[in-house]
Amino acid sequence: MRSMRLGTVTGVLAATLTLSACTLMQPSPSFPHPAPPAAGSPSGSAQPAPATPAPETPGTLTAPPERPPAPVPRQFHLSAASGALVSQAHAQAGSGDPVAAAATLERALRIEPENPLLWIELGRVRLNANNPSQADAMGRKALSLATGDPAAQASAWRLIADSLRARGRNGEAAEAESHAEHLAAAR
Amino acid sequence: MTHQFEGRRWTLPAQVYAAPLELYAGLPLTAAQLEGELKRLGYHRAEQADRPGSYRLSGPALEVALRPARFADESRPAANLTLATGAKGLESLRDASGHEVAVARLEPLLIGSIFPIHGEDRIVVTPEEVPPLLPAALKAVEDRKFDTHHGVDPLGMLRALWVNVRAGQIEQGGSTLTQQLVRSYFLSSRQTLSRKLREAAMAMALDAHFTKADLMNAYINEIFLGQDGDRAIHGFGLASEFYFGKPLAEENLSEIALLVAIVRGPSYYDPRRHPERARARRDLVLKLLAEQGVVSAADARAAAGRPLGVTARPSGTYYPAYLDFVRRTLRRDYAEDDLTKAGLRIYTSLDPRAQEDAEGALEKELARLDKLHKGHAEPLEGAVVVTAPQSGEVSAIVGGRDVGYDGFDRALDARRSMGSLVKPFIYLTALESGRYNAATVIQDEPVDVKLAGGRHWRPENFTHQSNGPVPLVRALSESLNLATVGVGLDLGLPKVTQTLERFGLAQPPEQVPAMLLGAIDVSPLEAAQLFNGLANGGFRSPLRAVRAVIGADGKALKAFPLEVTPVATPEVVYQLDRMLVSVMEHGTGRSGRALLPPQLTVAGKSGTSSEYRDSWFAGFSGSHLVVVWVGYDDNAPTGFTGSAGALPVWAHVMADLGTSSWAPPLPDSLAEVQLEYSSGLRALPGCADELVTVAVPAGASLPAKPGCNFPPAGTAQEGPSLRERAEQWLKGLVHP
Repeated sequence: MRSMRLGTVTGVLAATLTLSACTLMQPSPSFPHPAPPAAGSPSGSAQPAPATPAPETPGTLTAPPERPPAPVPRQFHLSAASGALVSQAHAQAGSGDPVAAAATLERALRIEPENPLLWIELGRVRLNANNPSQADAMGRKALSLATGDPAAQASAWRLIADSLRARGRNGEAAEAESHAEHLAAAR
Repeated sequence: MTHQFEGRRWTLPAQVYAAPLELYAGLPLTAAQLEGELKRLGYHRAEQADRPGSYRLSGPALEVALRPARFADESRPAANLTLATGAKGLESLRDASGHEVAVARLEPLLIGSIFPIHGEDRIVVTPEEVPPLLPAALKAVEDRKFDTHHGVDPLGMLRALWVNVRAGQIEQGGSTLTQQLVRSYFLSSRQTLSRKLREAAMAMALDAHFTKADLMNAYINEIFLGQDGDRAIHGFGLASEFYFGKPLAEENLSEIALLVAIVRGPSYYDPRRHPERARARRDLVLKLLAEQGVVSAADARAAAGRPLGVTARPSGTYYPAYLDFVRRTLRRDYAEDDLTKAGLRIYTSLDPRAQEDAEGALEKELARLDKLHKGHAEPLEGAVVVTAPQSGEVSAIVGGRDVGYDGFDRALDARRSMGSLVKPFIYLTALESGRYNAATVIQDEPVDVKLAGGRHWRPENFTHQSNGPVPLVRALSESLNLATVGVGLDLGLPKVTQTLERFGLAQPPEQVPAMLLGAIDVSPLEAAQLFNGLANGGFRSPLRAVRAVIGADGKALKAFPLEVTPVATPEVVYQLDRMLVSVMEHGTGRSGRALLPPQLTVAGKSGTSSEYRDSWFAGFSGSHLVVVWVGYDDNAPTGFTGSAGALPVWAHVMADLGTSSWAPPLPDSLAEVQLEYSSGLRALPGCADELVTVAVPAGASLPAKPGCNFPPAGTAQEGPSLRERAEQWLKGLVHP
């Protein structure tokens, strides 16, 4: 049966080709809920939380999450080293040297590559240096790391909103802004 | 001619530096590793850390006198720093006045230079950077009348002539330092009489136009002092790095005496190849220095008692494959002349420790594998690439097992069939389609594809057997060909191709079904680019080795800033990466687990091309991506799968790196569940033999294994509530 279906590879290919518009470049627009930290994450230790109730039907289970969304927030901080470097970067940016500021933030990111706050800082420098597409990407990178920290998520969304606005994508910017406000309110 | 001397600057090859080590509280670096890092930079242990380049140990603390350093973004004067280490690594940094320092860096290691085709390499030193003993010693040994003669020393020449006539051939130079300079600078070293006369005339002309101090400094920067492959070591600045791994200013008497000894015959007195000869001549130099009152007899005796002190391997350490990548990066923006002559400083992301780990692991494992697979004329070859996934910075590149050999760079130029390394990108495409998740049961059964011209393509599993229905996670973990081809054909070749291109595949592969089994040629570096996106949560960062290029005037000419581009959602990549963890726990990566720390979570994928021609392993932790290729240069079958050949190299590198676990935050829209590995049915500990943890979209409907006693909906699960109750209880005690 399978070989018959596979025998018509070209037909399958043609069909999938028409479906293959690249739709996966944007992170899910769904509202990010706080979740418990991952094991070994930079701030806070992994804390299991109570499971959400899951509907059950005989023979079939809807997967009850083993690390489910739960209101166990965490808060990212800068380490002493990154903090010092971020201050230095602010001074460099303030004196009109965005290249030096970015290089200093890259130093901090080598020390704490998974700290969303640093990605947001670097995204801000990129935005000021008139590079909104990199600023947007860094906002999304920060967002992917900030799970569980609504404050960090909100500032990532704000960076994304500003980056979109800088490119004239005002509708999307407003949407991103509302994510940020929603998160800020939820704190 | 003097005009030419004046007008021609030294050709200054671009100097290439490794990443500087950042020191900060919390850095996981033991006291021994810290000392190793300092030694690599040529620091020496002393009673007092009073001179730059020295350090002292006092209990758990280490005080280091840092040298002045130039980084890409700033210069730092010499400074003392006290570092306290504990069980968890570096605990505190304090400056000379005892104030806490948040972050400081060691100076970057000089790893080589981009020298011109004719091979002339040098580090130019100013007179201030030259220890006064060196010119004094050069005069005492080579040219006693340097300060008074007019470029030539007729008596010395006559004496040399007499020796040469007696011997019937030219044996003795009798040249002044000025003549030696002329010979090195303007003439070939062929010794004919007419050439000697011309040399003498030119030396006299130079002497008339320049001060003795200028000529001495020119000599110190010009003279030939050794050969390293096709690289010629010119000047004492580079020779000091080359032989001793530290700046000229820090040389002691015995080291200076050795360098002066080498002047007479860099090949004959090569201290690495002929240590006895070199030592005898060094001691002769020391004796001459004492006789002429340059140093005291006691100092000379003490210096003669010291070992040669030459580093085992040439420093300025010369990592050819890495430098090759640096050179290619820069050739896009710079003319060859700028690189070899303009005195640029190039700052890279090379991590010397990672580089050495990768070189060591490849060398050792290939030697072991060679013994297992005798009967092939040439030895196995291999390549390793190590990156920092979040930035795309390349930490190490090994281009072959002979790491010092500047030849065929397999990491960049060996384009080989990627084999099963393609599978993660097929499964990623499947997850993106929304029609598959890790628990989806797919069919591992014979496939027959009609090709153009009436031919058939009938791929087979590695075991030549089919397994029937298997969950997706198992098909990927065990690298099942038939199941994968089924999924890939269902998705379509264009869709899979698009995924590969998004992650950085440079050339689109031929659109034949065999591409689903990895009939796609990539270099190890390209494979690293593809996997870097998986290791970086779905963000592509162009792999880069160069951080910045600084001009001779200290101004930044070019930076290569960090870039990220989203190429897949973090949700989809998390699901895929979680399956790559199961490759290590249950599948083809399992045999590597024993070599890794038990608590370390890593993700990876093996790759074996047809007839075992290529053995690959690519995988990552939280902070490192490592790609290993093993094969023969002539593309002959190796007999090794990815698991047998490349995996042990990979696991050794990962273990040596001292890396952190793969542990990205679980995206909100996903849930982690346990499945029975063989069937893909939801299960619990105790009701299935082998469980695998996968991430699936929250709310995905998963069939449960009969007989597993799942907790009824609405009740809390085992641990958490207990912990919470314990916390409540504790609170009650503290705050009644």
